Amino acid sequence: MSLTDVRAMRTEEPKHAPPPRAKFWLYRFDTKTVPYLLIAPFFILFAIFGLFPIIFNGVVALRHWRLDDPTLTGWAGMENFTKLASDTDFWDALVNTFGIFILSTVPQLLIALMLANLLNRKLRGATFWRIGVLLPYVTPVAASTLVFAVFFSRDYGMANWLLSLVGFGEEQPLDWRATTWSSWIAIATMVNWKWIGYNALLYLSAMQAIPKDVYEAAAVDGAGPWRQLWRITVPMIQPVVLFTVILSTIGGLQLFNEPMLFDENPALANGGYDHQWRTIAQLIYKVGWRDLNLGYAAAMSWALFLIILIVAAINALATRRLGGGK
Amino acid sequence: MERFGRRAARVGAAGLAAALAIAGCSGQALEGNDSSTEGGQVTLKVNFWGDMGLDQLKAKYEADHPNVKIVLNSGEYNAQHEDLQKKLVAGSGAPDISAVDEGFIVQFRSQADQFVNLNDKGASSFESKYLPWKWQASQSTDGKQIGLGTDVGGLAMCYRTDLFKAAGLPTDRDAVSKLWPSWDQFIETGKTYTAKTGKKFVDSATNLFNPVLSQQPVGFYDQQETLQMEGGPKAGFDVAMKAIDAGLSANLASFQPNWDQGFTKDQFAVLACPAWMLGHIQKTAPNQAGKWDIAAIPGGGGNWGGSWWTIPKQGKNVDEAYKFVEWLVQPEQQIEVFKKVGNLPSQPELYQNKEILDFKKEFFTNAPTGQIFATTAANLKPQYLGKKNGPTRVAVENVINRVQQGQLKSADAWAEAVKEAEKASKS
Repeated sequence: MSLTDVRAMRTEEPKHAPPPRAKFWLYRFDTKTVPYLLIAPFFILFAIFGLFPIIFNGVVALRHWRLDDPTLTGWAGMENFTKLASDTDFWDALVNTFGIFILSTVPQLLIALMLANLLNRKLRGATFWRIGVLLPYVTPVAASTLVFAVFFSRDYGMANWLLSLVGFGEEQPLDWRATTWSSWIAIATMVNWKWIGYNALLYLSAMQAIPKDVYEAAAVDGAGPWRQLWRITVPMIQPVVLFTVILSTIGGLQLFNEPMLFDENPALANGGYDHQWRTIAQLIYKVGWRDLNLGYAAAMSWALFLIILIVAAINALATRRLGGGK
Repeated sequence: MERFGRRAARVGAAGLAAALAIAGCSGQALEGNDSSTEGGQVTLKVNFWGDMGLDQLKAKYEADHPNVKIVLNSGEYNAQHEDLQKKLVAGSGAPDISAVDEGFIVQFRSQADQFVNLNDKGASSFESKYLPWKWQASQSTDGKQIGLGTDVGGLAMCYRTDLFKAAGLPTDRDAVSKLWPSWDQFIETGKTYTAKTGKKFVDSATNLFNPVLSQQPVGFYDQQETLQMEGGPKAGFDVAMKAIDAGLSANLASFQPNWDQGFTKDQFAVLACPAWMLGHIQKTAPNQAGKWDIAAIPGGGGNWGGSWWTIPKQGKNVDEAYKFVEWLVQPEQQIEVFKKVGNLPSQPELYQNKEILDFKKEFFTNAPTGQIFATTAANLKPQYLGKKNGPTRVAVENVINRVQQGQLKSADAWAEAVKEAEKASKS
């Protein structure tokens, strides 16, 4: 839109002094075509690696495609999707995904906000602290998750050792993978650990753009630090909050590595022996690459895509209200 | 895209190495093919899991065949099979030679078109050398032979002599075998052990379920591919439940880090062991040499695992690949593998071979592994494993593990196992 606007204005200018013909074409080429050429690499790559897989996935979702039985092929129509609606595995995985999502996103963003607020003060070695919180983000997720898997192990895990220091589980150590709540907490901890620092830095950068005199005025009016945080800081960094909420929604609903590697035998893609922490992304992997049922896995991927769109939209609306009303 | 990238990292060092090897070798294989007109240099990539005793054989073969370079690529058991399946579908990227285990052979023989029919290359002359069921198991319904058998996994029971001694149990292998002619007596022995030492007896109830199941005439599926839960699976499940209720299970997931740790931390005293397990025990607990011995398995018989060498059709050098496979299954090489890692050949003639019969494994208190496993293999009654055998076994093992974790009562577990198995059979 804006491109055409600019062009419309410019084309009127040559009326005063018409340029030579060759120069005119060069000029037209420069204004009309070059911008598209410059942005083309992104769109070409996106079409190949983004758009095409999505569309192809949509086609596969409407077909039967089993790797273990090449004879089972052909058009399925909406069959995969109707099967999905009554598949308890899918709905259980959806509940798990949302449970872990809430356990990870809410504390993650709140703690990040507090952390950013702390980092925004005058601290000794401010750069050190600011870089420090980013370290978990730099750690490869597979590496950190493997460490966490050992951390939360039943027999010789550090988590249980820490609990035993406060006198818990000395008789019977806590089997983190056995119950739903403990496995969700363990996985949420891994996610939080990784992303808190990253979000805190985003918040921090937004906070530094807030003029100091706003706080001074608030302080004169008698607003304490807590009130300043919620009434000034949060509304004023609201666009960044919105961004992080949407990003963690997408990440949270696609959660894969952490639950996958948390399993005792990751190759099985179980998500716990009762599938108590199997997320949708994990279920898609299991259906696609263990059951070798690609059509059904593709249908699940599309369902997940739609769910993410809906939840991200709801979260975006909710976050807009966060600062807008006041 | 990114997710699959991360998955590659997930399988850890082994998987990563495998991925690198795939990337590296497919290039090399192509180069080899290009130059085959000039110097005839051929690179053969071999995929397998664990240790199949190939390191020295590779060097030997390369020395005898200077134009052949062999790349060994050992990965995780499930990952290697899944990878092969993906590459077969993709139509390229599969190794020149791939090991396929018993648990997956039904799945792959139903895609026999994707593999070189080894009978075309002259493998049919080997038929008489093999255990008949081993030969048939890798054959498609229309008679195509996709694999040449390597080993069979006849069962025995490995036990820790030092832990047995501490519990006041006999340590001599014949005396130990007499302790447990039946699985009920095995569990009674376990109760004695646990009562004396306060330690767990077995690594996991799933590793009782599987051997008992493999001793039954019919496993999860009959020849018509119908799920049969009330026969073999029920027998195995009952033994597993009894062991859990008696508090004998250390609840460690097999082939995972905790399990390996369990070896070194004396968390269990016995382990059902097919011949190929010996290699794993030696590797995991090298400082326990002389503390292990091998007794008879309760109930007698049973098979766990055993593999075939297959040649995917998409390979560029299938003739050279076949030559190598043919060489690998010759008695001389099979005996060497047996001595090195313990894998028992699937050619009955070798069970009479003096080198095998006289062989004693120092690590296992000089147990005559050749005699022990040759006897079990000769008496083996093979079981039909259905197409869905793998997922069904995982589903039932999951239920057993829930009981082990205390999340499900053993009384309710069977109904749950049947439900989950039915679901898996339809997956």
